[in-house]
Amino acid sequence: MDILLVFINIIVFLALAPLYEGIIRKLTAKVQSRQGPPITQPYYDLLKLLGKDNINPGNRLFNFAPMMSFAAILSVIMLLPMGHRANFLTGYADVITIIYLLTLGGIAIMLGALASKNTYAVIGASREMVTMIMIEPVLAMTFLLGAVKVQSLGIDSTMFSITTQGYSWAAGIMMVIFLMALQAFVAKQPFDTTEAEIEILEGPFIEYSGPNYALFKYSMMLKQMFYAALFVTVFIPYIATGYFVADLAIQLAEVAVVFVFISLIGSTNPRLRIDQAVKYYAVLIVAAIATVGLSVYGI
Amino acid sequence: MWLTSKIKQILMVMKPGKVTLPYPFEPRPVPENFRGQPYWDHHKCIGCGGCANHCPARTILIRDLCKELRVMVYDGSRCTYCGRCADVCPEDAITMTPQFELATDNKEDINESIELFMLTCQRCGRCYDHEITNTIDKLSFTGYRYDSIEARAVIPVSSEQFDKGLYEKSVNFKRPEKAGE
Amino acid sequence: MPSIEQVKNHLTEKFSEKVTGVEKPMESRLFIDVDKSIIRQMSNEIIEQGGRYLVSTGYDNIERDGTLGLVHSFTFDKENLFVNIRTSVPADNPELDSITPDIPNAGWSEREYIDLLGMKFTGHPKPKRLILADDWPEGIHPLRKEIPWNLMPPAAEDVAYQLDEAPEGCTTVPIGPFHPMLHEPCHFAVYVDGETVKGADYRGFMTHRGIEKLCTTQVTYNEVPYIAERICGICGSVHATAYSQSVEDAAGIKISRRSEFIRTIMLEIERLHSHLLWLGVAGHLIGFDTVFMQSWRVREQVMWLSERITGNRKTYGMIVIGGVRRDITPDIKDDIMAVMDKLEEEVKVIHRAIVKDTAIHKRTKDVGYISKEDTIKWSLVGPVARARGVDIDARRDHPYAAYDAIEFDVPVVDSCDVWGTVVVRILETFEAINIIRQVLDKMPDDGPILTEVDEDITPYIHAISAVEAPRGEVIHYLITGNENRPDRWRVRAPTYPNLQGVPMMLLNNELADVPIIVGSIDPCFSCTDRLAVIDESGNSHMLSSNELEEMSRKSGKRGR
Repeated sequence: MDILLVFINIIVFLALAPLYEGIIRKLTAKVQSRQGPPITQPYYDLLKLLGKDNINPGNRLFNFAPMMSFAAILSVIMLLPMGHRANFLTGYADVITIIYLLTLGGIAIMLGALASKNTYAVIGASREMVTMIMIEPVLAMTFLLGAVKVQSLGIDSTMFSITTQGYSWAAGIMMVIFLMALQAFVAKQPFDTTEAEIEILEGPFIEYSGPNYALFKYSMMLKQMFYAALFVTVFIPYIATGYFVADLAIQLAEVAVVFVFISLIGSTNPRLRIDQAVKYYAVLIVAAIATVGLSVYGI
Repeated sequence: MWLTSKIKQILMVMKPGKVTLPYPFEPRPVPENFRGQPYWDHHKCIGCGGCANHCPARTILIRDLCKELRVMVYDGSRCTYCGRCADVCPEDAITMTPQFELATDNKEDINESIELFMLTCQRCGRCYDHEITNTIDKLSFTGYRYDSIEARAVIPVSSEQFDKGLYEKSVNFKRPEKAGE
Repeated sequence: MPSIEQVKNHLTEKFSEKVTGVEKPMESRLFIDVDKSIIRQMSNEIIEQGGRYLVSTGYDNIERDGTLGLVHSFTFDKENLFVNIRTSVPADNPELDSITPDIPNAGWSEREYIDLLGMKFTGHPKPKRLILADDWPEGIHPLRKEIPWNLMPPAAEDVAYQLDEAPEGCTTVPIGPFHPMLHEPCHFAVYVDGETVKGADYRGFMTHRGIEKLCTTQVTYNEVPYIAERICGICGSVHATAYSQSVEDAAGIKISRRSEFIRTIMLEIERLHSHLLWLGVAGHLIGFDTVFMQSWRVREQVMWLSERITGNRKTYGMIVIGGVRRDITPDIKDDIMAVMDKLEEEVKVIHRAIVKDTAIHKRTKDVGYISKEDTIKWSLVGPVARARGVDIDARRDHPYAAYDAIEFDVPVVDSCDVWGTVVVRILETFEAINIIRQVLDKMPDDGPILTEVDEDITPYIHAISAVEAPRGEVIHYLITGNENRPDRWRVRAPTYPNLQGVPMMLLNNELADVPIIVGSIDPCFSCTDRLAVIDESGNSHMLSSNELEEMSRKSGKRGR
């Protein structure tokens, strides 16, 4: 049964990530008073990209980078305990592994950008690096908050610590901080300085096309869904119905609500410059560390 | 400040709702003054050539095929829909229709042509005094000649003062081919 | 601020031995013919007296007296006065003093004539190619009358424009010719150090279409407004109006007051749709697509109104020499008033929603700084100048059409950055609505809307006219000719001087600010590039896309 849960995780995420992306696009369109694409549009986009040519500026790293990014995010997904049940692989890793694998995904984007030898991609890679350095500590602090409570770094115990052991002040503040950093995690306005900067620079994906680009896009969608699911698993109280399928469905509905929130903030904000974003992240890091400190004192 | 602005922005967008029109699934009518493709009414046309004289894009061509037959050809691919022909026509034979959906893969679809039989003068037996009133000559004054109305070739005329040597150097230049020609 | 008589007397007395003639065809236009040796001193004298440089026009006078002519145009804004200094040089040795070291904005005008007429300007700091393509052969100067309008010289291989050297330690980020932030092709080479911009160079004029040469050789007087309207895709009526006004001044045609009022309505409707378009584009450039979609939704009503009045959303075809082509009937007037009411409401909603948004402030305040003194020194025009405290507006300073009968404000702010241009343009939108309402109320009923011109227009008369486009002031300089067409026509769009000021605005800003700074001048490269280069010979000297792909990318198999 636990092994089956691993596969259910993979299948649910792979099947539903483009749908949530479609929700973002449809809601953005409604905010902009227009009709927008159908919700299933990202599926068609991915299918179209798979049918195109793969153009390579000439080194193997270029082809390897999207595969690495996709593999990293899939590994993280396999570890995530959805439906409030730990699966087979959850016991084999701890939260440090999750942070490491997510960072690996970010590095893959940077490597792909640097392998394409394009000025714009290099600038995009440097922005991605800065963003990664500044925003991963917030994620680490979130996990640390849970770890302090249960005195362990195991994935299921850390993630379920807040919902099973009651909300403290520190947990409430951490929820707000995580929400404020969520836009940066999923790389949407106002913090999409790296990848979606088609106006200012084409970003690290400028040289990618065809199946490589499809893999990158898919990893971005999976990453979005992962962060939203992480938020739901860690902070939203668990409604126990006893059946796994019902639990899973309720959690997926809550993920959809988080996506509504992401798209509303995303469509009503301009894009911040990298130096302004860095100042914002610095404030968040300090606040996150302070919150963990509060929780150590049991507040 | 930021939060109140965001709330105002959300309210601003909620009022108009969806403004996307379902065109082309539903037709979209145009106002009555719209300048679409011009249409010649051949019953009213008297073959004066005023429209050809006034067209800024040199889209309307007039040629006398023989003493009594005058042909007018309108080449829709170059028309800018300015409406000068309709303004200047003395018989109001040209109307600017509301047609704007003119995309086609065959240029002949948007061309119009009229053949007119002209009356001859009772005294001299000619239709027009070609040397003075011929529209062709007027057009060549402005730099164009139409040698072949079937091929609709536009052969530009250089002014006499240009240095011939310089022109020879550039005469072998090959204009890039358009796809499909 | 001197009056026209004072200026004329002062200049003729100071340089009396070199002044060969003075013309004053009307109270606000002064033409002074001088010897070529004193143009630089005279230009500096005019600037010291408080004048502002506008444009230079070169023309080919070879068949009449074997010389090439050059005219420098200046204006005294507060006095509604245009001062033009005319000079001429022999065609076989066309050497002149450059006025660029003292008046930086003349740099491009003089480079233009180096390319197009073969003039030489001694002392010019950067005599590089401006307009002609890089592989255009030497010695063929398109604006000379002997060159036919459709000459196509053979293309050359491996010729590229030499951009300026990058400063120490900077990398070059090439922006253009195709880039999502630019509307039209042009090339900015931005030199960055990390993320800070340390310099920029510009190579443009990739959308030149040969309009000035075409209109002086192929078409007649009354066909030119249709072409003038297509110089720009956003501000077409402005060019048609400026051209028609200059012909009417030169030929002494008086048009009816009603047609002047109708021209005013068309110009203000154009200002409305252009500013709403710019607001959307500015939002898009800072990544705020919602402002883009909403302001274009509001703008759509103006487009439908134009279609109702003129028959087309953009190329109005309304303004010709002698007046306008269509009348404003009472039910059109009711339509306009209804649209204006609705528009005012909706623009107020947008204004209130974005004026206090600190996220937008962060992207636009203190970005693109250029001081008021530099703005005056570089002769920038339009909302760019009005956002820096320079109070110039051709509608108020040089009244034309019906503006002398209308009361309106000219918004000027002092913030010297991009946010100032946003505020100025939104305030101008409200003023435009105000002006249209006044015009509709006061419209007189005298005379026909199109005055017939019965006599031939006297050739070789000079005229200059200024019109306030949404982007700044447009100057048209016209010399009438024989054969029922102009002899020389010079179009100076407002983006022409503003683009020369952009490298200064970009200094010490971040790379991410480059789009919004370039966007804040509301660049209209089609207006700027209209100049007289004959058909581009096609990019046949560059590699075809197949060769390019093979060289720089390997297609097909993965893992190669």
